[in-house]
Amino acid sequence: MEIKHTAIAGTLESSDIQIMLSKIEGPTEIELESAVEKQFGTQIRTLMRTILEQYGITNVKLKAVDKGALDCTIKARLITAIQRAIDKQNDPDWEVLG
Amino acid sequence: MERLRRTMMFVPGNNPGMLKDAGIYGADSVMFDLEDSVSLAEKDAARMLVMQALQTVDYGDTELVVRINDLETPFGRPDIFAMVKAGVDVIRLPKTETVDDVLETEAVIAEAEAYFNIPHKTTKMMAAIESAEGVLNAPAIAKASDRLIGIAIGAEDYVTNMKTRRYPDGAELSFARNMILHGARAAGIAAFDTVYSDVDNEAGFKHEVELIHELGFDGKSVINPRQIPLVNAIYAPTENDVQNAKDVLNAIEEARIKGSGVIALNGKMVDKPVVARAQRTMMLAEASHLVDQEGNWHAE
Amino acid sequence: MNYAQQLKKLNLKETHYYKQWAALLAQEGIKGSSQVSVDVDGCFGIFEDQRLIATGAYQKNVLKYIAVDANYQDGKLFNDIISALINALSQQGIFHFFVFTKPIYRKSFEFVGFKLLAETALAVLLEAGDVSLQQFIAQVPRLENQSTRMISAIVMNANPFTLGHRYLVTQAAQKSDFVYIFVVSQDVSLFTTEERFKLVQKGLADLPNVVVVPSSEYMVSYATFPSYFLPESQDVIEYQTALDAQLFKKIATQLNIRQRFLGEEPFSKTTALYNKALQANLPPEVIVEVLPRLETAEQVISATQVRKAIQSGAIETIRTFVPATTYQFIKQNQATLQVRIQKGMQVDGN
Repeated sequence: MEIKHTAIAGTLESSDIQIMLSKIEGPTEIELESAVEKQFGTQIRTLMRTILEQYGITNVKLKAVDKGALDCTIKARLITAIQRAIDKQNDPDWEVLG
Repeated sequence: MERLRRTMMFVPGNNPGMLKDAGIYGADSVMFDLEDSVSLAEKDAARMLVMQALQTVDYGDTELVVRINDLETPFGRPDIFAMVKAGVDVIRLPKTETVDDVLETEAVIAEAEAYFNIPHKTTKMMAAIESAEGVLNAPAIAKASDRLIGIAIGAEDYVTNMKTRRYPDGAELSFARNMILHGARAAGIAAFDTVYSDVDNEAGFKHEVELIHELGFDGKSVINPRQIPLVNAIYAPTENDVQNAKDVLNAIEEARIKGSGVIALNGKMVDKPVVARAQRTMMLAEASHLVDQEGNWHAE
Repeated sequence: MNYAQQLKKLNLKETHYYKQWAALLAQEGIKGSSQVSVDVDGCFGIFEDQRLIATGAYQKNVLKYIAVDANYQDGKLFNDIISALINALSQQGIFHFFVFTKPIYRKSFEFVGFKLLAETALAVLLEAGDVSLQQFIAQVPRLENQSTRMISAIVMNANPFTLGHRYLVTQAAQKSDFVYIFVVSQDVSLFTTEERFKLVQKGLADLPNVVVVPSSEYMVSYATFPSYFLPESQDVIEYQTALDAQLFKKIATQLNIRQRFLGEEPFSKTTALYNKALQANLPPEVIVEVLPRLETAEQVISATQVRKAIQSGAIETIRTFVPATTYQFIKQNQATLQVRIQKGMQVDGN
């Protein structure tokens, strides 16, 4: 599924992550800016890809600025961004939301 | 046995840093807020953040409460579904005015429990009363559902509704506090007092906590971790209180060993409310670290 | 934000907030605008104990007036305020942001995901969001063997496209293998971005070695460069053109653009200064050539005159100034254009 439009979720505050999803032509790209890139970069990207796959989202550019977010925060922000990008803010897909 | 609810700490639902640390300040209950502290554009984000935090972060024994948005808004229903799915302990209704408000919310909670195959009545409720009408209906609201664990007074909206404001002596809340307390006690559930928003005024805060402690409230809503130890200090029993409670509990034990049905202490019958109070005192003493594991008073 | 801090929308029309805002900016060495002519679309503040300790604003998609109390410079408040601005813009469907700032703040912005576009001794220009300079450059059409050709470029606002613009382009087309026409995309002119672009395209359709490139936000109209963060003594034009030139150079290098043509400017002193500054800044990488204007019936053609004629309803007088395609558009949309002028759209300006 392709997203309908660009969407942002999250903030740049400490312990948070700001995620922006926008449509692109080619396969999904992830651009991560994180102070913990060395230790957790791969883990964060894998988590993001997994969530995008669970929602069946393809052809997006995901730009993230991480300020030390826990996995559950990354998950929450990405799901929020996805729901905003497909105009389903208040109509979450409960089946996907594990 | 009922749990201690001396402090219920309000935590803005869209702040990951605060959500992450909410369990470390020693509040008896934590209330994640999806309502007033979250702007309209961030309702979806806060809901998802609280949902994920509830499912992941270890909050220990802290009672977890979520204040949802009114069912009249587009956010109320998804709030309930998300929190029920996440396994929250208590859903807090904002601005409760009537028994129907409670019943409508309960119906959606029941629907969500059925949808997610969660046992019926797993999710508890509490109601915040924030208007004249709510206060007048408090006794009925408190008995509206057996999911209710307590009712609370929300003073900010209430004083506006009453065409007044907050004053240091609390006279403006006197009737409401007493109504809510009576409603709660008659229904056998907890009564929570409102927040005190002038965080820097420690003397004013203590004064207010002393007042509601005297009245009989289970506890106070707090908006800053700094307020927690202040409440706990006021709710802590004295050495004398603890000794009296131990005497009661010893008398029960004695009666049990003797096989006697009647519990007596110093020639007087010990009845149920006295026993409950003694148990509560010991809980408070333990929570305040005033006694050791055997219940003996710590030497300072 | 912590428990003691509170984020608020700042209504600068309220003197109560304006005073605190202006004081914080002054304290941090930034010139705030006067209260009557506040040039922002939205503004936020972070308060601690009723005291303003951080602020930031936006106008269109440009972040402005960002200041954090020097007693709190640990980066936290900066991030909080940038977040608030980005979230406010994204709620309005704006997902591409720019900031002009002092070079010392470059790192702070890069830490929150901004990318450098241009840098001079006085200022830096950065961007963030769902569009990037690299994406823009990637989608610009290319020639075969582009690197071996003589490629040139013209940047124009074309408000609207006149025979003067066309003359400039034909001159350039004769002197190069290929000409890129970049149409400024800021929507601040009498003719909308889309209208301007289409009229340029139609007016040049017959020229085979010219390509009109749509809506580049990177060809920044110099009139919109904010300069509030510069010290009083600095020459604003100098800062604007230097930054613009650096950015253009970056784009030019990747597209093998070797020459930039400018129209001679006999009327506007600002434009003349701007042209002069580009000549000082672009070489040696990009050669700058100023071409004389086309004159008809002893008059130099300018878009300003065309707009004035629309305002006065005398469009017949400019028939010989514009290509048939532009004239037809003006004739068909005369009423709409006049309404825009009545609603306050400047005819003078650019």
